[in-house]
Amino acid sequence: MFEVSDPRIGFWLPLALLCLSIGFWITDRKDPRKKLALPGFFLSIALVVSFGITTRGEDGPETALLAVFLHMLVPVTCMAVGTLIATFSGPSPVGPLPRGLRPMGFFMAYFGLVWIAWMLISEPPSAIANGIGQTTWGAWVDAFLTILILISALAGAFCVMMGEERHKEALTLAGLTIAGGLMFYEIMHNGSQGMAASGWHSIHWSELMFLFGGLVGLISALIAFIALVYIAEKRAPDPDVVAPLTEEEKSVVEAVLRTNLNLMEGEE
Amino acid sequence: MTQQKGNWWKPVALLMLVIAIGMDLLVWQLSGGVEFSTIAEEAIRGFILAFGGTSIALLMISLGSLHRHSQWKEQIAGLVCLSVVALYLAHSEYGKSIDGMREGGAILLSGLTAMLTAVGLVFGLLLALVTGREHVADPLLEMESTGGDVSIELNE
Repeated sequence: MFEVSDPRIGFWLPLALLCLSIGFWITDRKDPRKKLALPGFFLSIALVVSFGITTRGEDGPETALLAVFLHMLVPVTCMAVGTLIATFSGPSPVGPLPRGLRPMGFFMAYFGLVWIAWMLISEPPSAIANGIGQTTWGAWVDAFLTILILISALAGAFCVMMGEERHKEALTLAGLTIAGGLMFYEIMHNGSQGMAASGWHSIHWSELMFLFGGLVGLISALIAFIALVYIAEKRAPDPDVVAPLTEEEKSVVEAVLRTNLNLMEGEE
Repeated sequence: MTQQKGNWWKPVALLMLVIAIGMDLLVWQLSGGVEFSTIAEEAIRGFILAFGGTSIALLMISLGSLHRHSQWKEQIAGLVCLSVVALYLAHSEYGKSIDGMREGGAILLSGLTAMLTAVGLVFGLLLALVTGREHVADPLLEMESTGGDVSIELNE
């Protein structure tokens, strides 16, 4: 009845469990639920991995998504690790890594990007070559290139606007914008190894616009959540008024104060 | 200069808008155009599905972190209402097809991950480049304290 190969059990339930684990993780450290955060996290990862293994080769949307993630894991990790190495091997005081590693960090970051570009001109694996796998992969590439072009242009322009000789940073980011732009033009004009240009056009007009709406929806849901918390806190009753001290309590306070004052006078 | 730096976001936002429109015009020209209603329909679908999905995720996080001092009734009831309404609308929008919703959810996760990766790469590179800046040593830091003894030479 409950099989891991069922996407509701093997994919969507672990996602809900992951969110629940995040909730457990942000509780107070004395709360017993805090101890459930890590087991919940690992259980959800284990369920997703076993779902991926069980349904390997099938053409469900969740399996296709996992195939895309697996496909992108190495270049994305390469880019992430590269930027971290380059940052922490710089001349800044927070750089604990040897300075000689800095060029390697930049090389890894650019290598990850070149790897993605190479994927576009090489024959895709069967999991992302047809059907929903191809659409999911296409949506990933189109969204990645679009945001890469826009955000690197934003960051490059920001460097120019801020002045103070940030030409090297601005030029590097301009190079990223141009490289992303060329890749975007190439796939839209000539297509890629696994998909014709018309397929990329279809993905741009349907999936990218779907993702644009999705991004607005995500931000709107966050704003709605903040509004709910604000309403709840605004409606919260004022804290109870504390009763004034009784004569007995006043005498205790006075005695404590007198003892301390006498001690201080004795020290002087 | 300070005034110019304060308004930096206006030309930068304009540049981004121009590039985004340019990219769409390029695809428009290469593809031969598309119906605006198709674009709007896809964007609305994405909006509803992402709104519902995010509301459910926030509901699960809120349920996991409930505590007796929180104003949880409004928060939980509100999130349940938002999730139910959004999922009902998504269900209708996809022609009461759970498979369609699953497919939309997978594409949404794929695209949002791609966006996050691109943002992370650009800002990671920017951080790496900015932290690599070499500064000329400040001569004031090289000076030694005289312990308060100051002699002033007056030019006559």
